[in-house]
Amino acid sequence: MIDILSYGFFFLTMALTYGIVCLGLNVQWGQTGLFNVGIAGFVAVGAYVSSLLTTPESASHLGGFGLPIAVGWVGAALATALVTFLIGALTIRLRADYLAIATFGAAVSIQLCVLNFQPVTGGPFGVGFIPRPFAALAGRPFLFGAANLALIAAVVAVLYLALERLAQSPWGRALKAIREDETAAQALGKSAVAFRLQAFALGGAIMGLAGAAQAHFIGFIAPDNYQPTLTFQVWAMLIVGGSGNNRGAILGSVVVWGIWALSAALISAVVPADQQARAASLQIVTIGVALCAILLWRPRGLIGEARVGARHLLRPAAPRKAPTPSGEN
Amino acid sequence: MNAPLLATRALTSGYERDLPIVREVGMEVHEGEFLLLLGPNGAGKSTLVKTIAGLVPVHAGAVTLGGADLTALAPHERLRHGLAFVPQTENVFTTMSIHENLLIAAQVLPRPDRAGRIAALYDMFPDLARLRSLRAGQLSGGQRQMLAVARALIVGPSVLILDEPSAGLAPKVVSEVFARLREINRGGVTTVLVEQNVKAALAIADRAVVLVEGRVRLDAPAAGLAESDTLGKLFLGGHGRQHGTTTEDRG
Amino acid sequence: MTPQVLMDGVVAGAMIGLGAIGITLTYSILRFANFAHGEFISWGAYLALAIASALGTLTGGDVQPIGPFSFGWTLPVALVLAVILTAGLALGVDALLFGPLRRRGSAVIILVMASFGAALALRNMIEFIFTSSPRYFSTELQIAAPVGGGMRATPDQLLTVAVALILVAAIHLLLTRTAMGRSMRAVAENRQLAGLAGIDARRVIRTVWALGAGLACVAGVMSGLVVQIRPEMGLDLLLPLFAAAILGGIGSVPGAMLAGLIVGVAESMTVAVVGAEWRAAVAFVILVVILLVRPRGLFGRAG
Repeated sequence: MIDILSYGFFFLTMALTYGIVCLGLNVQWGQTGLFNVGIAGFVAVGAYVSSLLTTPESASHLGGFGLPIAVGWVGAALATALVTFLIGALTIRLRADYLAIATFGAAVSIQLCVLNFQPVTGGPFGVGFIPRPFAALAGRPFLFGAANLALIAAVVAVLYLALERLAQSPWGRALKAIREDETAAQALGKSAVAFRLQAFALGGAIMGLAGAAQAHFIGFIAPDNYQPTLTFQVWAMLIVGGSGNNRGAILGSVVVWGIWALSAALISAVVPADQQARAASLQIVTIGVALCAILLWRPRGLIGEARVGARHLLRPAAPRKAPTPSGEN
Repeated sequence: MNAPLLATRALTSGYERDLPIVREVGMEVHEGEFLLLLGPNGAGKSTLVKTIAGLVPVHAGAVTLGGADLTALAPHERLRHGLAFVPQTENVFTTMSIHENLLIAAQVLPRPDRAGRIAALYDMFPDLARLRSLRAGQLSGGQRQMLAVARALIVGPSVLILDEPSAGLAPKVVSEVFARLREINRGGVTTVLVEQNVKAALAIADRAVVLVEGRVRLDAPAAGLAESDTLGKLFLGGHGRQHGTTTEDRG
Repeated sequence: MTPQVLMDGVVAGAMIGLGAIGITLTYSILRFANFAHGEFISWGAYLALAIASALGTLTGGDVQPIGPFSFGWTLPVALVLAVILTAGLALGVDALLFGPLRRRGSAVIILVMASFGAALALRNMIEFIFTSSPRYFSTELQIAAPVGGGMRATPDQLLTVAVALILVAAIHLLLTRTAMGRSMRAVAENRQLAGLAGIDARRVIRTVWALGAGLACVAGVMSGLVVQIRPEMGLDLLLPLFAAAILGGIGSVPGAMLAGLIVGVAESMTVAVVGAEWRAAVAFVILVVILLVRPRGLFGRAG
């Protein structure tokens, strides 16, 4: 019983770290309409920065500096904010999909750096001995799991409340005006660019924080953890939850992570060992198809109430009455 | 009386389903006629002709040309039925030469007819022939309108619809363009013209239809309208349908 | 650095260029960055592989290499069939996914995202069917012969470069000299006016998908021939393809090819000078530089 509960705690803890990534993505996509295809790279930046800051000194990589975990998390958020800010500054004035291409490229390059800067990052071997929060409780799995879950839940709650308040603040309202009203965006001109850039960097900071949290709960990171699949998973979570909606983002990440973990467990239990890699790819095919199906049929998300309603992403509001004269437009 | 060439029946249209701009418009254009479409700003004139051309979703009603129902057809299919439309702006391919603009339009025709048809239009518009390799983006406003009209005429349409071809042109150029349009109409092309330039346009049109708030408010012969105060009242937002004299004087 | 670096770069760049042409065409007509384009490269290669090995088995298994090349008659036949099938695949994806989204008037970024989901599904479908272990069209060993200027190349490599250049010239002529090419440029500039001028935009879009996917298939087969066939081959090429399409200027076919060659040569120079492990970052660096210096690319129109 204790085992199951401890596993439940761990499962929820992981799901909530994805929830944080989702909240970050929601600031970028749901609130601002900026398409980030490099999530895995930004999460990796956070994870590595925090790990290097907090691990005990090691011969296999830079540092570690043995700093407190809190310092690592703040450092992770700041470093990722800086990286996303630079990518955003490069592309945010250009066509909408240049940002997508640039973030995709950034993720590829970050993964490459993590893999190849062995003296700094430990290369393919990754970074180990990342201190866990409440390490003193490690001998009592139930308490340890509960404490970790409480910590991450608190972080999620604080972020959620802060982001909700931010959406109502003058800053949030300006963002809303920019994304829903072309003329307002043009009238704001340069400051519209600045607002979008701030939102992009803020979202990046949150992703970096999530990466850091994840690293500290697992205790070990390696470049392989930050493959494009991670990006896809987070997108699936946000889309399922309904973009623009913070509660949906958190709920979506728990649901999708749950489905992911369950189906993975099912595959390893049912599918013969030599076919497991195949079954895993089928699992990802399903995510891809589901992503497309939701975009086609339920663009507002499956479980989200779309209260904040990212209307700019769903144009046009009214479906056209048949016949559509120009066929396609 | 013969059946109209182009007609709309109770046509309601607009970009959004719950926001009709054109409301229950019934309009008839007879073969060879020059119809002028007038109305205050925002009356829906432009939306009406765009709907006829197939660019705006139809909510209800129908568009017919020579008895064929065009309502469900895409713009390129309407062109094949003989309906050509010249939009107010962005009406030529600016990155291509004049000649390429005409070549594109001529692609609708059978291959052997293309060169001859382009040559015929060059005869009609010697300016375009002279500038044939110039990029359309470099043309003056008047030249550009002429290219847009020539492009529309390539297929030998039965109806030519123009959305404010005089917009942004110098007065002298406007009268040249109007003279051209009159000439084209005399040559047998039924013409529908949307205009703000009421006086000059009434002088070349046979009949005028006035649209107010998406509905037809007046349908009368063009002759004499310029002097009467009917138009003024309508443009200032007068209500109630005004009946002009009807069709006895139409040839 | 030796002249050989240039040769290797040109071979890689020819494939990047072919793929980038597909990206640049779909981008200029459909107006979104298609993240699934790389998967057409992988699917093209795997389809050709499957067809070639099926043909080989059906005809008794003993396929002799043609002349100096490493492959027999089955590969060219398989290539033609695979081009058709890959084009069909792209048309299928458009009919099921992008077409409905376009008709609904979805924002560009929704299309980008859909292409992202499609890429994920298509790539892992390959892994599901063919597993992730690398495959080869041929096990024949090829010897690189001197081609002058201190450079060496295998017959297969020379063939791929020649085929790529011929295809680029053909596509360029198609775009500038034929009715379909004019229609494509017209739709790229102004879709609405194209319709008013009598062009069926849906037909043009279908042609562009077929053309782009067909070229991607050729690029995939070439890459499979001179490197290897892996499920991630398309994903790994995606960034170089985008870099080349943007560097060349969206919509420009010669631009895409020239930029493809530039990216290819830059990659092989990096491999020679910095190390092979940094190859994948080259495209990103090039991308950053273009976006900073000249976002419309070498041959792109302003705006």
